Amino acid sequence: MSRAQRIGEVVWEVPASARADMRVPARVFADEALFEAIERDGSLAQLENVATLPGVVDAALAMPDAHQGYGFPVGGVAAMELPDGVVSPGGVGYDINCGVRLLALPLSAAELAGRKEPLVHELARAIPAGPGKEARTRASADLDAVLRDGPRVWAEADDLERTESQGRLPGADPAAVSERAKARGAGQLGTMGSGNHFVELQRVARIDDAEAARAYGLAEDQLTVLIHSGSRGLGHQVCSDYVKRMENAMRRYRIELPDRQLACAPASSPEGEAYLAAMAAAANFAWANRQAIADAVRLAVARVLGESVARATRQVYDVAHNVAKVERYGGRDLLVHRKGATRAFPAGSADVPEPYRQVGQPVFIPGSMGTASWVLAGEPGSLERAFGSTCHGAGRTLSRTGARKRIEGGELRRELEARGITVRSPSTSGLAEEAPFAYKDVDRVVEVVQRAGLARPVARLEPLGVVKG
Amino acid sequence: MYRWGEHVGELELELEAPTEPAVFRDAFAAFCELVADGQASDAEQRTIELQAAERASLLAAWLEELVYLADAERFVPERLVDLQLDGDRLRAAVRGRPGEPRPLVKAVTRHRLAFERADDGWRARVVLDV
Repeated sequence: MSRAQRIGEVVWEVPASARADMRVPARVFADEALFEAIERDGSLAQLENVATLPGVVDAALAMPDAHQGYGFPVGGVAAMELPDGVVSPGGVGYDINCGVRLLALPLSAAELAGRKEPLVHELARAIPAGPGKEARTRASADLDAVLRDGPRVWAEADDLERTESQGRLPGADPAAVSERAKARGAGQLGTMGSGNHFVELQRVARIDDAEAARAYGLAEDQLTVLIHSGSRGLGHQVCSDYVKRMENAMRRYRIELPDRQLACAPASSPEGEAYLAAMAAAANFAWANRQAIADAVRLAVARVLGESVARATRQVYDVAHNVAKVERYGGRDLLVHRKGATRAFPAGSADVPEPYRQVGQPVFIPGSMGTASWVLAGEPGSLERAFGSTCHGAGRTLSRTGARKRIEGGELRRELEARGITVRSPSTSGLAEEAPFAYKDVDRVVEVVQRAGLARPVARLEPLGVVKG
Repeated sequence: MYRWGEHVGELELELEAPTEPAVFRDAFAAFCELVADGQASDAEQRTIELQAAERASLLAAWLEELVYLADAERFVPERLVDLQLDGDRLRAAVRGRPGEPRPLVKAVTRHRLAFERADDGWRARVVLDV
């Protein structure tokens, strides 16, 4: 029998009294089917563990795309009261500032005509999964400068304005990033990585909110490119380094936890401050990485569609999925951990770029490979109920092993291509692991965040071609 | 022996072996499966020395070192030529070559990390972030 109670149309809660070590309730935004999946795969138990963290306020939250992770569930949000609430590197995740960036081309799918295959081919050539043997990346970019300032080391002002936090978290300190982390990140700017990372060519299939779509510069049948990547080896190593450091420090702070991966320390402690400085540097690196990938996209567009099309390819926005940020709610400074969740500030928020301030912050929800993605806009309910957050994707429902058992990569590639979706991937098994049936129905996830008042649909994007890492 | 358990988001590696060093060898074999790039050569050797207070952390450190070599040095491991456990220390020699390891494994988590005695040997579990 579930310990969770349904407390709203799409809100479920395990009360803090359910476990002696829970400090706040564990609250889930989901409909019945999504909640059942979240409970079944262990995410709810992981969320209960998050609710035990010192300094956590209101409730530990799970978005409708939540699924089993490590420590935090993927799709988890938790806010800690500053200065003494904890910061948990595992609550941000190894891929610090994994996120998505949407570019809009000044061209419709109809105008692309027979140039789709060459464009997807060029995208695959221009954006490698890893550094490879040839130095195709911005290896010359000064790494410490990137860690301090993110993409503003070289990016245009228009792109920076349309990036969460303008692509730079304050307090970033390259000295807090280990040499091993720097060695992993060196040469990886402009590389996608593997797993669920991708670059997708899409068309706007439907507009749901004409005013917001106009503000975002999106029109029906317009071509878009969605980039999903993060901080690569540099961020992964930062998290590894600080999980270990905090594990060693916890006894000193008398912190006991139900899961080693939740290792944490007070945000105001030397360990907490050092992690936040390193995390900010890794987040800046991730924004620079997506900037370098966006540059490569524009280069590919120039080669296939011409310089003028590339020059007019605009950045709609760039949002982080894995990050901890200081934000103010109810008169308190809180450290909001988003692990597989997106900031979704509503219209009127000072942190939303001026061109979008009347309609709310853009949020991008990638579906699984071969299915639709969504552009949403932040709604006031996100501030009232979810520390300014919403979901980040469809959310897995089947393990990678399970996906490989059900379909072979080559067969999946043929299925997608039969539906008119061009696929480029160096790994056939990697392709199978990301099969659409391994994910929840993204339309259903979006419906829940709309019903919960966290974000509203603006446009639905359909894939034309996908480049996988 | 090793096998991949059912974990929705990540990769859960389950290991069973008659001795403690054999658990570490099986973990090496599992990692090689994940990063193999289709080439076969073991022209170079890396020596790895690690220390951790308990076995589960040492197993995590072992895999973390292989992740680091693959990511920072593009080192594709092929063959384990030596592995010694001495108290809380591990010393190993790995042969392989610089190549294009599949950039799948991001990190080695502490979630559900375990290393324990089983009926006829040792059993371990580690969740890899992918």
